[in-house]
Amino acid sequence: MKSVRNLILTIIFVILFAVFLEKAPEFLNGYWQRILNLIAINAILALSLNLIYGITGMFSLGHAGFMAIGAYVSALLVLSPAQKSAMWILEDIYPFLLNVNAPFVVSLILAGLAAAFFGLLVALPVLRLGGDYLGIATLGFAEIIRILITNMAPLTNGSLGLKGIPAYTTLFMSWGCLGIVLLCTVCMLKSNFGGVLRAVRDDEVAAKMMGINTFKIKVLAFTLGCFGGGLGGALMGNLITTIDPKMFMITQTYNILMIIVVGGLGSVTGSIIGSFLVTTMLEWLRFVENPITIFNINIPGIPGMRMVIFSLLLIMVIIFRREGIMGMREFSWDIFFPKRKIKDFESKTETVLELQDVKLKFGGLSAIENLNMKIRHWEIVGLIGPNGAGKTSAFNVISGFYKPTSGTIKFLGKSIGGLSPDKVCQAGMSRTFQNIRLFGNETVLQNVMIGSRIRQKYHWWMSLLPFVFTDVIKEDAEVRAQAMNLLDQLGLDAFADEKASSLPYGAQRRLEIARALATKPRFLLLDEPAAGMNPQESEELMKFIRRLRDEFDLTILLIEHDMKVVMNVCDYIHVLDQGVHIAEGTPEEIKSNPKVIEAYLGAGASEGSAA
Amino acid sequence: MELNIFVQHFINALSLGSLYGLVAVGYTMVYGILRLINFAHGDIFMLGAYFVYFATIVYKLPWAVGVVLAIIGTTICGLLVDRVAYKPLREAPRISALISAIGVSFFIENFAVVVFTGMPRPVVQPPILMKPIEFSNGVRLIPLGILVPVVAFLLVGALLWLLYKTKPGLAMRAISFDIETTRMMGVSVNKIIALAFGLGSALAAVAGIMWALRYPRVEPFMGMTPGIKAFIAAVFGGIGSVPGAMIGGLILGFVEIMSVAFFPTLSGYKDAFAFLLLIMILLFRPTGLLGEKLEDKI
Repeated sequence: MKSVRNLILTIIFVILFAVFLEKAPEFLNGYWQRILNLIAINAILALSLNLIYGITGMFSLGHAGFMAIGAYVSALLVLSPAQKSAMWILEDIYPFLLNVNAPFVVSLILAGLAAAFFGLLVALPVLRLGGDYLGIATLGFAEIIRILITNMAPLTNGSLGLKGIPAYTTLFMSWGCLGIVLLCTVCMLKSNFGGVLRAVRDDEVAAKMMGINTFKIKVLAFTLGCFGGGLGGALMGNLITTIDPKMFMITQTYNILMIIVVGGLGSVTGSIIGSFLVTTMLEWLRFVENPITIFNINIPGIPGMRMVIFSLLLIMVIIFRREGIMGMREFSWDIFFPKRKIKDFESKTETVLELQDVKLKFGGLSAIENLNMKIRHWEIVGLIGPNGAGKTSAFNVISGFYKPTSGTIKFLGKSIGGLSPDKVCQAGMSRTFQNIRLFGNETVLQNVMIGSRIRQKYHWWMSLLPFVFTDVIKEDAEVRAQAMNLLDQLGLDAFADEKASSLPYGAQRRLEIARALATKPRFLLLDEPAAGMNPQESEELMKFIRRLRDEFDLTILLIEHDMKVVMNVCDYIHVLDQGVHIAEGTPEEIKSNPKVIEAYLGAGASEGSAA
Repeated sequence: MELNIFVQHFINALSLGSLYGLVAVGYTMVYGILRLINFAHGDIFMLGAYFVYFATIVYKLPWAVGVVLAIIGTTICGLLVDRVAYKPLREAPRISALISAIGVSFFIENFAVVVFTGMPRPVVQPPILMKPIEFSNGVRLIPLGILVPVVAFLLVGALLWLLYKTKPGLAMRAISFDIETTRMMGVSVNKIIALAFGLGSALAAVAGIMWALRYPRVEPFMGMTPGIKAFIAAVFGGIGSVPGAMIGGLILGFVEIMSVAFFPTLSGYKDAFAFLLLIMILLFRPTGLLGEKLEDKI
């Protein structure tokens, strides 16, 4: 078995590496040991920032602040009372702080937890922001943390910093911590929960429609990342034995950011390689700042030159290979072996969806006026109208992206007006988007698996230790099998391991439907499924939509401009024009309705056609 | 608080605020057009200060000549940064340009350490700017304190005229609205982007020169903190809005100076105010005071 082979290889590698670390002090001097330690610590920091930024897509510039919290918490716990009373010169240390003490390992865990706690406090308000604003706000928090540390002398000894911290960070400590962090990260990212994290990064809107509470996921990932930041900071403090507020300036965050960019955003392997390269490069470049003698010619060291060269290298990496060394790929033992080939659903005539006097206004502009609709089980209903009629707005109101200004929406007898998209999805509704919104960087199979996450029972934290919580492995396997089954039914099985963005257009549309079906909906909204299809393709699509309804026992509401599709496939049709619900009826009734003809072809046309 | 002291604080706040505003304008123009936080902008500001230092103090040129040369030199540097580090990345994901900006910032700072050395150098202020003017009610002011806000307001006024009354200004506003459509309209987008970088750098140079005169010294990392604060001012005012950047700068200047003036015990926390202000506005009005609301299309 391939997985057994890979596991054995991994274990052998870990044992060999442990032997290397054991013997290292015999042949490596203090300087090299320190660099090895720094590589491990930087890798922990890079992995944690990568989880926040590369994997979950939250641009955070606050890592240095969380490192500072970790470093101070750990240092204050491992310093002896005698050392502390000698160090606080300008102001007295808080008495309770003088005598607290903890073993190093406990201090590491508390350091991580403290940073995670502050991370959670920061995340709850700040993660409502997105993009660059999030970056700036987190940068702001990191600076505030640093300013607080500088000014709260009785707690932190102010700008003097802490000295003489016991050098507890040994090679086994730093690499051991990295090993644990790495194992947990890899397990989590391999589980379906990891897929959810990447889905939030790739397309938050689509992720919400998969029933995912994206805000909660982001807070979780951010807090976990902060734990790593605190842990890394604590290890760092116990390695250099001195900490002060200046150590944790924005430059520190930039260093970590550089590691993950050089290694490849979103790649775990990349973070490890990146920290190896950046750490050794920064150390090696010190030579340009020391005087050198070549053939009796003295070249004086140039202060600042190291960072000049380093920043130039960084700019070059970004310009010429912006995806970094690994891109989003990961290391796998498989690269050393030639490739080999691999490889449930739940009555009738009840009302599924009912809209009563639904209104939607944006400021003074009325997007939808008094929409009334009743859709019964097993029906395929069309929503049509000219451009700007408010069709997609109606979809957005039904699926929870917009809150209706007034009116009620009942789904399976429950009121859902104003619920968020993830709640609407959990209630049994799913949709596709006019402009396809797939998680482009994920494989076809993973896209579908993310849709199944809301039906899984295991908690996110179990994915950190799947060997203990075997439900993770079991449930992920079930979901995988169901997803394969779905792909099979939709004729996408051949593409299972392809990247979603590489699929041809028509297949991408079917994949979006497959992903929607993975949430096991009872009601499916299709936004322009025939957009961009030729007549033959739309012919196939019509058969496909009916087959969907039959095989998955669905009720379907679709927006479509292709009148041939609408008239052939729909049992009932609603017509919107400029937000007004102008007509409803069977395809035959709609075809001869003068109001509809007027809306499409303008006034006068209906008389012409009637004549 | 005595009137004299209050007026001193007021003038201090006004000049600090208008300096933040001048730098913030450069951030806001570039962000409005490219959605890029030009992290190197604070370092461009530092270059302006160094250039005027070398021109007038080392090479003993007259101040007027020195100032003009410094502005030209800094503008060229700003244009070079765009050409070398940002232009190749126009089609790349935004993060790439951002990382490149961080790299450029590192580069300029450390290059300054290599060329100018890391030692802070004192700036000799021209005596004419420092001779106090006394008023009958006992208020004393130095001309520099008045010169700084006056120059800043004039320049921002001129920039607004350029943005709203001239063709390149129209093109710049069009690009910030929709870069692709503007390109279709036959506007040479790269030239207009260069113009934005050039104008921003020239204003940063003026701010750097005045900063060097007010806090009479120059050093390679002098652009870092004012740079970040000016960016905060730009976000506070509503990123993309030039008047917003100026207003944001002034508010930030007043908050910093007045909080310390009225509560001297808080002086250690001075730098935290800017960030607190930033986080508050981001939470309650993420688009800033004058910014426009952008929504994701579903």
